[in-house]
Amino acid sequence: MLSRTLAQSSTKPLFLAPRMTQCATLFSFRSPLQPPTERLYEGHVPISPFQRTLLAVGSAFAALHNPHRGDMIAALGESTGGIFLRRIRDQMLKDPEGRRILRERPKITSESMQLDKLRQLPDGIFGREYVRFLDDQQVSPDTREPVHFVDDEELAYVMQRYRETHDFYHTLTGLPVTVDAEIGLKWFEMVQTGLPMTVLSSFFGPLRLSSQERERLFNIYVPWALENGSNAKSLMSVRWEDWMERSVEEVQRELCVKPCPQV
Amino acid sequence: MATHILSSTARSGFGSRLHSVATCRLPLARSQLPHRISAIRVQSTTAQDTTAPEQYDVVIVGGGIAGSALACALASGKASSTQKIGLIEAFDLSSHAKWSPRPDQYSNRVSSLTPKSVAFLKKIGVWAELDPSRVAEMEGMQVWDGVSGARITFDAANATSTRSSFLHQVLSTSGLIGNPAADLEYRDSSFNDGSDIKSSPLAWMTENLHVQYGLQKQILGHQERGVKLDIFERTKVQGITVKQAYPTDADVSAPAGSTAADVSDWPVIELDNGKKLQARLLVGADGVNSPVRSFASIESLGWDYQQFGLVATLKVDHLTSTAPGNGVGIAWQRFLPTGPIALLPLNNGFASLVWSTTPKIAQDLKKLPASDFCVLVNAAFSASPAELEYLYKNIGPDGQPLVDFQQETEWRAGVQDMEAFRTAFGSSRTDAKPPKVIEVQENTRAPFPLRMRNSNSYVEDRVALVGDAAHTVHPLAGQGLNQGLADVECLARVIEQGLLSGSDIGNIHSLTPYSSERFLPNLAMLGTVDKLSKLYNTDLSPIVWARSLGLTAVDSMGPIKTEIMRFAMGLEDAPHSNRS
Ligand SMILES: Cc1cc2nc3c(=O)[nH]c(=O)nc-3n(C[C@H](O)[C@H](O)[C@H](O)COP(=O)(O)OP(=O)(O)OC[C@H]3O[C@@H](n4cnc5c(N)ncnc54)[C@H](O)[C@@H]3O)c2cc1C
Repeated sequence: MLSRTLAQSSTKPLFLAPRMTQCATLFSFRSPLQPPTERLYEGHVPISPFQRTLLAVGSAFAALHNPHRGDMIAALGESTGGIFLRRIRDQMLKDPEGRRILRERPKITSESMQLDKLRQLPDGIFGREYVRFLDDQQVSPDTREPVHFVDDEELAYVMQRYRETHDFYHTLTGLPVTVDAEIGLKWFEMVQTGLPMTVLSSFFGPLRLSSQERERLFNIYVPWALENGSNAKSLMSVRWEDWMERSVEEVQRELCVKPCPQV
Repeated sequence: MATHILSSTARSGFGSRLHSVATCRLPLARSQLPHRISAIRVQSTTAQDTTAPEQYDVVIVGGGIAGSALACALASGKASSTQKIGLIEAFDLSSHAKWSPRPDQYSNRVSSLTPKSVAFLKKIGVWAELDPSRVAEMEGMQVWDGVSGARITFDAANATSTRSSFLHQVLSTSGLIGNPAADLEYRDSSFNDGSDIKSSPLAWMTENLHVQYGLQKQILGHQERGVKLDIFERTKVQGITVKQAYPTDADVSAPAGSTAADVSDWPVIELDNGKKLQARLLVGADGVNSPVRSFASIESLGWDYQQFGLVATLKVDHLTSTAPGNGVGIAWQRFLPTGPIALLPLNNGFASLVWSTTPKIAQDLKKLPASDFCVLVNAAFSASPAELEYLYKNIGPDGQPLVDFQQETEWRAGVQDMEAFRTAFGSSRTDAKPPKVIEVQENTRAPFPLRMRNSNSYVEDRVALVGDAAHTVHPLAGQGLNQGLADVECLARVIEQGLLSGSDIGNIHSLTPYSSERFLPNLAMLGTVDKLSKLYNTDLSPIVWARSLGLTAVDSMGPIKTEIMRFAMGLEDAPHSNRS
């Protein structure tokens, strides 16, 4: 994987102008209008700090306006996530399973997950419940938005992985995909990872809820998220691919996540 | 003032069996003190004890580098060499003079000596005794933040680019710096071999044992030419007492030039071999747990860092360094959240390690197999703190690694190199890399507890403290021994001047100039080093950001960098009060 990306991008000019190498300190006085890097991986769009801010603010509003604009939510996370992605990566590096993920960089696709095989599993088994969720939502692991704006090859993978594993969280927690439940899940992730996207949407999000949804969010989902987010094993260091054949209860037990109370 | 050193027990002891010999006060049992000083046995001598103590002008307790250097300095002074001097050391001293190391081995205790210290060692004849092949010149320094990568580099040119620096000018016009003459004195005497200060290295690295060798050679020389310098080695100070208590609290210090008969307030030092010495001036050069300091009831405040400094002698491969000249003569220091790690240059591809880290990690590092230890040292200079944390966690209880250190670090280095190679952010791409460590010399890994202490005062009537007895500092700036040598230089000068002016050198008034000259500079150094150590002992984002901004800014500002260098090299004293 590593070498593939290298090979692909080596056809593009990799080396930076000497001007850039001179100010390669932490605080370089480069124009904020200039993108800091060349293209680092497939799908990468280098952007300047100025564009990054615009993108963050713009996508926050777009996501707020229409929570179904998945691309905007994704863009928001990417453009603000630098240090937080680093933090997740560091969390993963300290964990044997997290390290294995970083080293092997597995991808979650309908092919790699062998969805048809998972469908054959008995009810209550994690893999079975996971496909059931996908089928109910009529989504597939292949419809995830690829990463564009993260300026670091490994961190881009972390972001990618973060997106790819989101659906497992629903299976794990039993949370539905209603807007308030999604926000509840964001609270859970916020506690776990501190991703600014989740921070932003956990504060912006409630504004658009009905009073009934809001009540549910703050009486049920948020207390659950706060408790479980801090108790649970770091979910980014879970190699979900290896957990498909266990029962949902077992997975919950091992990862120290209590299912969310159903309404 | 003499009453200060007498205990209340002693004062109320009149008429009791203690009437003739007062015991010293129990060392600092006050509970508010963060650290109790280990008690020396308090001798309650009875009246039938008849051995008369032998009288000395100066008794130095502690034959570490500070104590031995003081003995040397006094023995080489015009007036002070006429004095009767005693030097007491719990361990062996004479064997140092026979030190004959193998050229392919280095002791693990190595210190950086600043130009100021070297000047002093030259002045007292010690430098000439040293073997130049075992003294390494430190030409440059690279110091960086392990969390953010922000870096500062120093070289000898920085330090000497302005002869009289900005800070010096401001302070001297405002009268804050006294004694510029003394400043010049060491400058001139230090470079009397013709070399200009401009070409001076930042520091000289050599083994503590090597300095001890030079000191003991000189001491032998002084003894041979008739200086009354008595060594009491392999014997411990067991108790320190004062013969007679003054019944009043009034200041009854003896007038200058008092007769030899008036020794009633001279402390008596009792050795565990039964020998007793009585001193006009008692100098504590007895290290961090100074018995002399306890005797004088001088409080010492401070704390233990939750850190150990692991030292080791290493072999490096200079071809792997990307620094100019393959990094020969460069000191490398990286601040990690667990403490700084430093690689200090020695000659012939050797280097000395000081790795400050948590007590647990220090113990684990000591047990690790040599090859894994080298991998980990190399990682500590390049890998992310998260990666290091993972490696530390994977040292088993028996010291064996639980994962393949080599493989794990190679993988991360690959990812990191690629990231640095492709990104304009992240300074590692242009930053020079230290040489790779390829070997650790057997039995040289040893952890030392790290502390910070400062005595409330360096003098009392008949007592002076020098070196670690007076102050102990975190080794991250390599200043402890240098501060001690500066104390010794100053105290020897003050004693010499006292003798020339005919005063009683044990009298507190004669000693005050020493204290006022040394106290503030030492305190400034302690404070600076302590703050640095605390500042870097975190990976909290706002702090990392602020300190990196600061470091990067300083790195690009020549004059300020020059200031720091000169301060660290002992070329610039911090402001201190004028001596009267
Ligand atoms: C890991 C580490 C690295 C360091 N690196 C540097 C460096 O690079 N540069 C630098 O300048 N400094 C450095 N230092 C500091 C330096 O080592 C000390 O400041 C210096 O050795 C102190 O010397 P001293 O003579 O004052 O005390 P000590 O060396 O502690 O000597 C005290 C002596 O008193 C004797 N003694 C104590 N009690 C009694 C008693 N009751 N009776 C008889 N004798 C007694 C002891 O045996 C001892 O020999 C470092 C320190 C550490 C821990």
